[in-house]
Amino acid sequence: MQQPQKKTTATHTLETVRKVRGIVKSNYAQALEAKEQGRPVAYCMVGCGYDEILRAMDITPVWTENYAGLCAAKQDAERFLSEAEAEGYSIDICGYARTGIGFDTLRHELGEIPPGAPDGGMAEPDMLLGCSHRCDPRFKWYQVLGRYNEAPIYAHDVVAPPVDADLKEVTGYYIKYQAEQFRGLIDFLERQVGKKLDYDRLCQIISISRETIRIWQECYLLRRASPCPMPSEDHFSAMVPAYFKLGTEEALNFYTELYAEVKQRADNKIGVVPEEKYRLLWSGGLPPWHSLWIFNYFESKGAVFCMDTTYRPYEPMEVPVKLEDDPISYLAWRSFLHRVRFHERAKAGPRNISVQEILDLVNDYNIDGMVMHATRTCRANTMGQKFLADAVQEYVKIPALILVSDIVDVRDYSEAEWKASVETFIEMVDVHKKSRKG
Amino acid sequence: MLGYFCCSVPIEFMTVLSLVPYRIMGSVTQAITQADTYLETIMCPFVRSSFDLSLKGEYDFLDGLVVPHTCDAIHRIYDIWVHYRKPAYTHFINVPHVVQPSSFEFFQNELSVFKKSLERFAQREISDQNLCQAIRLHNENRGLLRELYELRKDEPPLISGTEIMKLLVAGGTIPVAEYNELVKGVIKEVKERKTVPAQKRARILIYGSQVDDAAFIRLVEESGANVVMDDICPGTRYFGHDVDVTDNPLVGLSRHYLEDIQCPRTYRAKLGKYQEDLDNRFGYLLDYAKEFRVNGIILYITRYCDTFELDAPDLGDYLREAGLPVLYLENDYSMTTIGQLRTRIQTFLEMLL
Repeated sequence: MQQPQKKTTATHTLETVRKVRGIVKSNYAQALEAKEQGRPVAYCMVGCGYDEILRAMDITPVWTENYAGLCAAKQDAERFLSEAEAEGYSIDICGYARTGIGFDTLRHELGEIPPGAPDGGMAEPDMLLGCSHRCDPRFKWYQVLGRYNEAPIYAHDVVAPPVDADLKEVTGYYIKYQAEQFRGLIDFLERQVGKKLDYDRLCQIISISRETIRIWQECYLLRRASPCPMPSEDHFSAMVPAYFKLGTEEALNFYTELYAEVKQRADNKIGVVPEEKYRLLWSGGLPPWHSLWIFNYFESKGAVFCMDTTYRPYEPMEVPVKLEDDPISYLAWRSFLHRVRFHERAKAGPRNISVQEILDLVNDYNIDGMVMHATRTCRANTMGQKFLADAVQEYVKIPALILVSDIVDVRDYSEAEWKASVETFIEMVDVHKKSRKG
Repeated sequence: MLGYFCCSVPIEFMTVLSLVPYRIMGSVTQAITQADTYLETIMCPFVRSSFDLSLKGEYDFLDGLVVPHTCDAIHRIYDIWVHYRKPAYTHFINVPHVVQPSSFEFFQNELSVFKKSLERFAQREISDQNLCQAIRLHNENRGLLRELYELRKDEPPLISGTEIMKLLVAGGTIPVAEYNELVKGVIKEVKERKTVPAQKRARILIYGSQVDDAAFIRLVEESGANVVMDDICPGTRYFGHDVDVTDNPLVGLSRHYLEDIQCPRTYRAKLGKYQEDLDNRFGYLLDYAKEFRVNGIILYITRYCDTFELDAPDLGDYLREAGLPVLYLENDYSMTTIGQLRTRIQTFLEMLL
């Protein structure tokens, strides 16, 4: 009989990645310090493209989704989930949102940060910067917080055209709208902090983030090597500086160091496991923060996750405006181009950008199987996984596994079922790989 | 005939081209037997049910599909429906999530692209004049439905909630001119009817999203209440406001479909403190309750609907604070649990006595 997993986190391969835990801790500590010193603190959502604007205005961000993930990894989310449920929030609502709402409910009740909260807890926000990118709860969550905190809210709208849109027809007004959204945000922030945005400083910060993204992307291209020098469990830590520290020298230095380490491993054919038998793609869904050990379990079977579609970096792109001339348009273009980067090829092929992305990665990274994570309360990242797994097969036959649990709530997860499904999946991958060779 | 989801699709564009807008609905009485092969079970059960009907061929008569970005589930179903069902015509409309001058301008551009797309499909152009005529025709429909709802203000109401629901369901599937004639006929008949619904112990407002079957309303009425008002997608959420007929009709349409539709999927900027924000978001329900002499509200929330679920505690507290008893029911877009629902509704109604 297999023993239940005691260690819930993953064992990392890369030395550089071990520094991430310290970066996460310092994020929350810096926000608490800022609050204590009277400097502005904002609750924020990842992937909205406003990171550099906050940095340029000396606003300290608190990434609330990241905090929920941290609580899950620390197995300390349940008290916050229960608190939110007691307030009337359905158990089907996004686990991140419920964790955050529960945290703020408890803070409100206690009049202080809940004792023993992971990494000292989230600093009380002076403003709430919601965002419509990716899912609905990302702007509804902060609306809910009005129950506990009168902090002003800005909801930043992010739009992406459907794959069948004629980009020549729509690009102009999409860019204009995205730029207006950024201008609206800047106007809001200027009113909150009582000072004007320094556009020269913004350009300097964007230059740093541009270089950071370039190196990050270069680093990940090295993962095409066989054996793969960097696995997905390391990616899910390595993405932290880019997603939560973008525009800082700290993030730039991190990826410079990461690149050097991954390059050294690729050059010397140092893999993740002694014998890399199967190359896998993390092809959808948020990572199981509560059970990251599963990656090591795959590795025990010789299977390494060589690439991932979740928390992928912004790819370096040719933005048709000069940063120094118009940084806001630059940000609007960056946001837009990131979201349409698969459109033209997808239009000629599967008519779906996620299918196109998977097809590209399966080819570029020589993938043998794909794995997704269906989470009950993160519907935005779960809806369509069955479709993806099915639609990809029309272009390339490849085994697919969907693990089921939740992003935070461990009540939705069975370790025994996961291990059994991994065993079966690896057998399928093995048969598939042999048949390809045969 | 073009199928569409939700209240955010300007169906006037279809009417002007003599295309019949057909509101896609699921079935609360049919089990989902095919859709789960393609859709996750944690997806909105209304969307799953609708897609299930499509897989069973029940929407084969449609010539096309129009999907707005209202919520995550509706957004995600677009590519999936297109992939597996391959309608002859498809179009996706991005609906901004915020109400700001820039979002109106963006939405106007989206509607302009939708208009051109339909013109290509129908191989005919839409003139502003004709579009304004279609807006007036749909405004007539909205006005007639509001007139009909006036007849629910009587005690007892002159028309039952169950009857209204049947009308709303049918109306979403026929040309607007026919719908107008139908509503006119119903108004006339109701005004003349000798036997009106029996007066029950409570006057209830139903708040929810896609309620598109009379079964639930009938259950509430059979449990001892008159359902006298609603805030649901095929109901007042759709017809509560007219579209302004503007020189450039896209201006009026974009304002209506972005601002007037009171759906929690649209973020309305926080005005003042928390209480003012609640007034801004939910105050209209107190107006409804007062006008229709409502003495209890049922929040009938479809499971996995994040935007409604996230609003529910705020809304429930707000209504209770205003002295209105509230029953919160989460449902699976299915009447299989009717027994449980009946017990909870009966208990709630007894409390109102």
